Amino acid sequence: MSKWYPKKGRVIFHVDMNSFYASVEMAYNPALKGKAIAIAGNPEERKGIIVTSSYEARKKGVKTTMPLWEAKKLCPELLVMRPNFDRYRTASREMFNILSDITSFVQPVSIDEGYMDITDCQHLGSPLEIAASIQNRIKSELDLPCSIGIAPNKFLAKMASDMKKPMGITVLRKRDLAAKLWPMAIEEMYGIGSKTAEKLYKMNIFTIKDLVEADALQLKRILGINGERLQNRAKGMDTSPVDPDAVHEFKSIGSSETLPEDTTDYTEIRQLFSRLTRNVVRRMQRKQAVGRGIQIMVKYHDYKTITRSRKLPDYTDNESEILAVSMDLFEKHWNEEPVRLLGITVQDVAEKKDIAQQLDLFTYEKEASKEKLYKTIDELTEKYGKNPFKNLGGKGLDIEPRTSFQKDFLNDYRDRNRTNEE
Amino acid sequence: MKFVIQRDELMNSVQHVMKAVSSRTTIPILTGIKVEAGEEGIKLTGSDSDISIESFIPKEEDGIVYVEQIEQGSVVLQAKYFPDIVRKLPEKTVEIEADNHLKVTIRSGGSEFHLNGQDAQEYPQLPQLHTEDSFELPTDLLKNLIKQTVFAVSTVETRPILTGVNMKVEEGHLNFIATDSHRLASRRIPLEEANSQVKFSSVVIPGKSLIELNKILEGSEDSIQISVTENQVLFRTKHLYFLSRLLDGNYPETSRLIPEQSKTVVHSATKELLQSIDRASLLAKESKNNVVRLMTKENNQVEISSNSPEVGNVTEEVAAQSIDGEELKISFSAKYMMDALKAVDNEQVRIEFTGAMRPFIIRPIDDDQILQLILPVRTY
Repeated sequence: MSKWYPKKGRVIFHVDMNSFYASVEMAYNPALKGKAIAIAGNPEERKGIIVTSSYEARKKGVKTTMPLWEAKKLCPELLVMRPNFDRYRTASREMFNILSDITSFVQPVSIDEGYMDITDCQHLGSPLEIAASIQNRIKSELDLPCSIGIAPNKFLAKMASDMKKPMGITVLRKRDLAAKLWPMAIEEMYGIGSKTAEKLYKMNIFTIKDLVEADALQLKRILGINGERLQNRAKGMDTSPVDPDAVHEFKSIGSSETLPEDTTDYTEIRQLFSRLTRNVVRRMQRKQAVGRGIQIMVKYHDYKTITRSRKLPDYTDNESEILAVSMDLFEKHWNEEPVRLLGITVQDVAEKKDIAQQLDLFTYEKEASKEKLYKTIDELTEKYGKNPFKNLGGKGLDIEPRTSFQKDFLNDYRDRNRTNEE
Repeated sequence: MKFVIQRDELMNSVQHVMKAVSSRTTIPILTGIKVEAGEEGIKLTGSDSDISIESFIPKEEDGIVYVEQIEQGSVVLQAKYFPDIVRKLPEKTVEIEADNHLKVTIRSGGSEFHLNGQDAQEYPQLPQLHTEDSFELPTDLLKNLIKQTVFAVSTVETRPILTGVNMKVEEGHLNFIATDSHRLASRRIPLEEANSQVKFSSVVIPGKSLIELNKILEGSEDSIQISVTENQVLFRTKHLYFLSRLLDGNYPETSRLIPEQSKTVVHSATKELLQSIDRASLLAKESKNNVVRLMTKENNQVEISSNSPEVGNVTEEVAAQSIDGEELKISFSAKYMMDALKAVDNEQVRIEFTGAMRPFIIRPIDDDQILQLILPVRTY
């Protein structure tokens, strides 16, 4: 089998679920199959935008992030559904379980895609055989379609999985680049958004080939270090490893929401801030996290957006403190123009177990009453290494995610891995 | 209005009143400085409606003439420009003149500025405090009281009352107390007989006000008068009038939170301990909240250590004068400890611990006027 594997270098898969939410709904209710369906945030309100849609809807021009009314105009028979996060969460977990059966080198990047490093899986067959078996299992066990890209690195695997959808398996080798990758428009390249694309247009870079041939120094001047990275990727070079631990890091936890109508009403703004704070705190508790930076985002009626942040003296997960700082930031920086959207992000986030808890003069007695217990734990820890006890976290278990679902699911994956380790 | 004034004196006063001027204020005229020329001298006023400062420059003092050619009158000048203009004027004397249309001319040597002024009538009247409730302190003592406590006020508005310093009169003593709920700083001094009729018992002065006041006051033995009303406090020296609003609400009772018994007592040289913690915090700073660990050892040794997994670790031993009582291992914020040791103001320090999860007290040896208290941290 080894002839299929390079002597040096790696074999990387990028597994990408095809229109994930819509596909899960179809698996759940087969009557929906073959119909134009879309999942939207809030079907009634104006902030309802398309989160994802089935291929049938896409054929009519329905696109992700398109406002609902626009999508309905293009596709009057469109079936709009609210998201059922529990279903997607379960499906995602199952999907990653299948991937983990092949190798432990799985790096989830969002709820519906992940990288795998199968370099050491020669005993399981050729890369194409492995990819086909993954695709079949996901199809037969979960009734979900996916596309898989096979390449020597993560970037090329990501580009490859995008080339044939749905249910594609695409191999992108270095020798294929000139024919398959380089003719593509620059904005199709993973890692290039509209802002970067605009800058590249000004340098007369319109295809990936143009990027490969562009002057490295000039790129670096315009795009900084990212320019160099993008050019290397375009040349087919990407050394970033598949890192199963990448999912363990979370640097910030945030929540944002569009108001039903642009407003200057202070009470309404305050209400939204307290709701956002509650969301953020709930998610922090779920992750057993604390943070010491708070950032607010204000999008005005004219889409002008500002972010303002403040560093706190201590780590916190205290709802009233986060709200107070957010309101204070808002009051200091609000220009009194109508507000469209507000967001709160807690930054500089750490897991509670990694940091020390500063005791409080007015509440320390509660903690101090457990002193003997902690002392015993310390002694046992010194004896056996690693805290032999586990805090079951009581209420932590029933705190359901509400927002930023895409990131929260990563905890599932992590928690599961942790349990496996123990 | 017209007068000729010594530039350095004017600059000094301008800097003082500028401490109260804020560019962000809901009352536009408060972005200016009020200049009043009276028979006895020149008075400058700045205010952000939380703090108001008046600084007076006498016509003449101790035989030195500061102001000449006074024609009485008043005007409000833009604080954005006036201080810089005064600072950069070429000569030692400045002539300031306002005409009936509030056009202000500032002359010094060959330089001549024309500024648009505002009507002083529109400047809010500062409240005149009518209170018998006042007492006097030497200025340098007040500065010490502020320095030893104000650093411990809270910088977050979660509990607004904790952003102030609690000034309290109890049993013939004046107390300053500040806490952000993670550490507490307090200083107590006996009040002199002459001040014994003070009636107020407890007020809370915004920490920010005291920080600004401390910057303006020059350390001297001249006395400063402190007057208290229900919602304001006034600090008055010969030429300065510093008025601050008080914080609303009850300051939490902290005395019962201070442990009365101790299980471990460490006597140490303040400077050695401070320097050791400063070094240990070099590595701790990078980690999550600047935590160092203190551990008592045999032969009166105290071990200070810090560990940041990504950076490295540091351990050092400090020889204490004495260690009495139980063995102890405790972790705390290096910053809080350093702040406290600096405020102790004595070569020898006594630290009283009552367990790894309870507040500990730092005092100068044989002196119970200064008390610093720190809550430890618990490492999960």
